[in-house]
Amino acid sequence: MTQHGNLSMLGRRTLLAGGLAMAGGVPGTRPAAADTGPAEGGGKGGIAIVMNSVSASVSIIDMATQKPLREVPLLREPHHWTLSPDATELWVGDAAGNALFALSPTTGRLLGHRLLSDPYQLWVSPDGQRLVVNALRLDHIDVYDTATVSLIHRFHESSMPSHLAYAPDSSMVYSTLQGSESVVAIDLVNDKVAWRARVGPAPAGIVWHRDRLLVALMNADDVVMLDPVDGSVIRRVHTGRGAHIIMVSPDRRLLYVGNRMAGTIDALDGETLLPVLRYTLTGGPDCIAFAPDGKLWITRRFADSLAVMDPASGDLALVPTGRSPHGIFLSPMLDLLAENGRVALGTASL
Amino acid sequence: MIDPFMALAGRLQTGIVLPLLYRLDLMQWEDIAFGWSLFAVYGLFQVLITWSIAMPLEALWPAERWAGRRVVLTDMLYTLIARVGLLPLVTFVLFYQVQVQVDGFLVDHGWIPPMLERLIPPLFGHPVLTFFAYAVILDFADYWRHRISHIIPSWYALHALHHAQRQMTFWSDDRNHLLDDLISALWFGLIALLIGISPFQFPILVLLLRFIESLSHANTRISFGWLGERLIVSPRFHRAHHALPAAGRESCNYGAVFPWWDMLFGTADFSPVFGATGDAEAPEALATGGYLAQQSAGVKSLVASFRRARKEPAGSSRAGIPG
Repeated sequence: MTQHGNLSMLGRRTLLAGGLAMAGGVPGTRPAAADTGPAEGGGKGGIAIVMNSVSASVSIIDMATQKPLREVPLLREPHHWTLSPDATELWVGDAAGNALFALSPTTGRLLGHRLLSDPYQLWVSPDGQRLVVNALRLDHIDVYDTATVSLIHRFHESSMPSHLAYAPDSSMVYSTLQGSESVVAIDLVNDKVAWRARVGPAPAGIVWHRDRLLVALMNADDVVMLDPVDGSVIRRVHTGRGAHIIMVSPDRRLLYVGNRMAGTIDALDGETLLPVLRYTLTGGPDCIAFAPDGKLWITRRFADSLAVMDPASGDLALVPTGRSPHGIFLSPMLDLLAENGRVALGTASL
Repeated sequence: MIDPFMALAGRLQTGIVLPLLYRLDLMQWEDIAFGWSLFAVYGLFQVLITWSIAMPLEALWPAERWAGRRVVLTDMLYTLIARVGLLPLVTFVLFYQVQVQVDGFLVDHGWIPPMLERLIPPLFGHPVLTFFAYAVILDFADYWRHRISHIIPSWYALHALHHAQRQMTFWSDDRNHLLDDLISALWFGLIALLIGISPFQFPILVLLLRFIESLSHANTRISFGWLGERLIVSPRFHRAHHALPAAGRESCNYGAVFPWWDMLFGTADFSPVFGATGDAEAPEALATGGYLAQQSAGVKSLVASFRRARKEPAGSSRAGIPG
């Protein structure tokens, strides 16, 4: 069902109820009630912004000292993030809060928020024209125009749309349907579903890699390689129990797979997909972000912390966060974006 | 500082829940299931904290002394089921599904589900204040749920199980018929949908509220003084609600956490009396039966109340309990 202009209507209704002015931040956002901490970011190393899904907040962490600077309260359940098309704002989806928050990506300062239906996973397309939002709880995938954040098309896809990835030319978006063992491909040019394919039990993380799609299967020990033309499974790669997330290193030479059940991170060769190294990381390893010094910043979903891991030595440093940390953004990613474009950031699996 | 709730919930999640979900091919629920892990851990902590505080109070300043405490064991079972075990799981799963359906319907019709912070924008950014507002609203809703449960005969037929206990202790808080629990869950589910509450964000405050509810049932001769009695429900205040003369339709002190609603609606009783508890007209099985016997007796009372309702004109003073 197509619902053009739906979001602006929602905004008006709440405006009447809440009596708030709309201004600033994401198009149509309300101004933040108050910035809850100093506007300054961390030191020269930049900051990490971590979405704490249970404590309904984001943690701002100084990357150089690896010390938490402050915690900014949001509404209910922030999970993932994307950068605005001009990269001046970090958009954080608060799924149960039905809100999209705008933060400064360099300081973590809260800029405002607006209503958005169940933004669990979200990512702006490589060409910056579309924002695709997966509503895991409410079983729909929404395609928005990024300039206005107005809804273009709602796809009801059952069940549990989880992670998403784009084709590099922004013509297609692919979402894992965690509850129905499937991946759905949406043609963003013609606003229609291109294909649905069964890929295996509980698919979660998905990335575009070397003209193929890679999907992590949580109820298996595998990552599957799909043909993006029709979703057919080309190959299976054994990793670890509860494969949850796949991240491509900035140089695209390695793939990191987080295995939720096994409590491990597997490094695969980017070309052959053969395992290179295995790291042990308990506490439910989740999202991974790459720091300029080559270290991996990994949220530990069930351990109130993130791990800063040196992939060369496997050494770990733990940094406290809020409760159930999920998505993680590192401000130095902005440099990566400026140098290599949005594709260099990988996918929404960040 | 390590958060003990999260530390334990994390271990429960990774050590038991995830392996179980993996084995059952249900890993798609791994994220959502963490809510149940938290619920169970909060419940366990709540029981431990209440026990460690209420036990000494009951031993040092008892309101009543009994020769034996066998019937209290059944109340302990109720508590463990209600706070740690099956009930949170069922409630969580049911509530989640209902919330998804309702929220999905709303957003498909152009509405974003309501939330208190959107109705009262100054609350945004002040989570503790917001939680306090939620606590007041929920307690107000609970006052009316509780009061109506005494007024409707067939509902009181179930609720009488809670009142039948003659050895009321802090364990008695969760002594309820499953159908009564179900009605309560639906009631609170509706309120939660309307105001968008998320109790998992506030473990300490949730524990505090539940501690007050449990403590108010304690067998202890404790009053909070003139002012305190009017701020928070005390063991004395709630004991008046459980007293023998207050069983049934004409009761008092329905509030669970705040006595304000009783004061506002004329049902408060602040008399300094620590009377005997129970419901003299309730079937004996409700008072001294085991868990299953009490549940069974509750259903029989419910059926009997329906039969009586068909035979008797409306407005009889104390329907619901077979004589």
